[in-house]
Amino acid sequence: MIGDLSTVYVAEIMRRIKSRPFLVGLLVGVFAITVLLKLPTFLVGAINGSKTAILIGEPTLTARAKPLLSDDYKIVGSQSSGPVDDALLKHYHASAAIELNSNAAGLHVTVYAHDPGGVAQGDLRRDLLPLQLELATGRNAAGVSKITRIPVTIQAVASRFASADLASAAKGVAYTLLFFLYLLTILNSQLVMSSVAEEKTSRIAELLIASVNPSALLAGKVLASATLGFLQLAIWIGTAIFLGGGSSTGDAHGGSADQLMSLTNALDVITPGLIAAFLIWFIIGFLQLSTLFAGAASLINRTEDLGSISFPLVMPIVAAFLIAITGLSAPDTPLVVVCSFVPLLAPFVMFVRIAVSNVPLWQIATSLAINLVALYLIAILAGKIYRVGMLLYGRAPSLRQVWSVIVS
Amino acid sequence: MLDVDHVRKDFGSVHAVSDVHFTIDDATTFGLLGPNGAGKTTTMRMILGILIPDGGRVTWNGKTIDDGSRRHFGYLPEERGIYGKMKVREQIAYFGKLHGLRDPNLSKSVDSWIDRLGLSVYAERPCGELSKGNQQKVQVACAAVHEPQLLVLDEPFSGLDPVNADVLLAVLNDLRANGTTLILSSHQMWQLEELCSRFCIIAGGANRVDGTLAELRSAWPTRVVRVAPANDSLRSLLERVEGAKPLMPVDGAIDYQVPANTDFAALLRTLVDAAPVTKFEAIEPSLHEIYLRAIGESAT
Repeated sequence: MIGDLSTVYVAEIMRRIKSRPFLVGLLVGVFAITVLLKLPTFLVGAINGSKTAILIGEPTLTARAKPLLSDDYKIVGSQSSGPVDDALLKHYHASAAIELNSNAAGLHVTVYAHDPGGVAQGDLRRDLLPLQLELATGRNAAGVSKITRIPVTIQAVASRFASADLASAAKGVAYTLLFFLYLLTILNSQLVMSSVAEEKTSRIAELLIASVNPSALLAGKVLASATLGFLQLAIWIGTAIFLGGGSSTGDAHGGSADQLMSLTNALDVITPGLIAAFLIWFIIGFLQLSTLFAGAASLINRTEDLGSISFPLVMPIVAAFLIAITGLSAPDTPLVVVCSFVPLLAPFVMFVRIAVSNVPLWQIATSLAINLVALYLIAILAGKIYRVGMLLYGRAPSLRQVWSVIVS
Repeated sequence: MLDVDHVRKDFGSVHAVSDVHFTIDDATTFGLLGPNGAGKTTTMRMILGILIPDGGRVTWNGKTIDDGSRRHFGYLPEERGIYGKMKVREQIAYFGKLHGLRDPNLSKSVDSWIDRLGLSVYAERPCGELSKGNQQKVQVACAAVHEPQLLVLDEPFSGLDPVNADVLLAVLNDLRANGTTLILSSHQMWQLEELCSRFCIIAGGANRVDGTLAELRSAWPTRVVRVAPANDSLRSLLERVEGAKPLMPVDGAIDYQVPANTDFAALLRTLVDAAPVTKFEAIEPSLHEIYLRAIGESAT
């Protein structure tokens, strides 16, 4: 049995690693990670880059406004007066001109922009509030700015995380790992399904079942798929670390300490316990789903039918992903807690709960036990369906026939 | 020795096999015959342990079929299957490994089968690029690469041209000579007649007749007597044989169907005494005739 399993396992890996679906899946994952990691930075850069402005007004006024606006605008020039037109904006390579006037009523701001919709009035009001107060009270802008900034301290009570930053970082990490879990499960379960369907439709299945124990055949396929899933995961995580590390260095040089702090926080929350939880739930979830997919694939007679049979099986994965996303912000709501025990859903939901909250040990143990038993039952069920399904040709079996196979 | 002991297999309300039984001695070739839907494939699957009988049992050397015995079996199913993208050598080696072969024996055996079946030119090509006949030979190699103790072949000659059919015939004879027990199912009776020492004809999921060709023939109730020249005096003598029926004349001879227990020596003497006889032949029934009669009986 073990010898058969290892032969099938090695052959399956060699066959699948060279297959187009695997390579495409791997590259799509790398591309998706690159986009997810780089796009926000790129978009922020693009948006900030587009928010360049010149200041128009009395030099004393514009000099005091310039540092206050620096969070939202890159000030590329200033002048005391003059007509604002397209030529002026083009001259300074600016997207907007901010004209500042003061009178007895206070500060008045007029913005001339290529894209008026892109001007956030609220940002300008917030940025220039210290200057308005300075003009009204006579206190300097720095002092006003100091007294308008209210320090807020968040204290954790019975929380896993000592600070809000760490809690936020944990959510980010959990979301990333959840995304990997989802992507890997979807991709590899479909690959197991295709592999089984290919053997069924090419009629080689009977020859294989005559040669090896069907359980060894099924297990070899599923384990090979899990191994390739891990390989994909390693490559994706490597890509993420490479890209994440690159951007943090750049940001640090650019002076964005917040980004560096986020990365440090993320590294703080990636504990061995979290990695272990991820791996355990990945293995359980992956084996549950891919075994089920393999059993189902043995019932089809044409590869064209793969879509229709995989649709109902993909639903639990999508549901689990959505519930787990909810669990990121509300890990202790009744729905999330209940789903963290339900087979097929638990690998996603319980993992997220573990990542972002304090889950009682008994709940983790109970969920593990339920899901391991479920995995065992799924393996028996899929094995029965597979053993018979691989020999069934002609019309697709009815639900009644499938049921009679299951209970036999 | 393989013992198929009154096996039964149902699929829901369909009784695929109701009562099939036979035994096969080691290193012999056995022909399993029957019309489509007779239960041959189901019986073969039960022999190979792919299906578990609902009744009766199958034993190999006295033991119920298990994974250990299956390792020594080979199977060429009627519906051919192949990994189209896998190379010929890889594919044969894969099935060798699945049956427990390991290097250096594996490589030796793979090379030997590639050579025996004339596949050397295609060894490094993907199987999907081969002609149907060559794919068939690859599958034969996959089924036999581990020199099985029992090899079950369902319609092994279909899709092969006469030259390749002869190659396969020679290979099967070699395997039997080396101790492999062969079970063949084919609708090409002349090949089975040449290859098999025993037969079982099944229909409707049950045995109709079984035994050696000689035993099957001895149970046949009639013979055909062919006499030449075709003249009235010989014809009138043949008419007098009890139970004789005239058949269509062939090439200047007279054919009569007579009971199997007819005293042919006495009949020949009677004919010779009456007129010059240039030809006298008591024709045994062919396997094809026995088959048709057996399944005809089952249909009634």
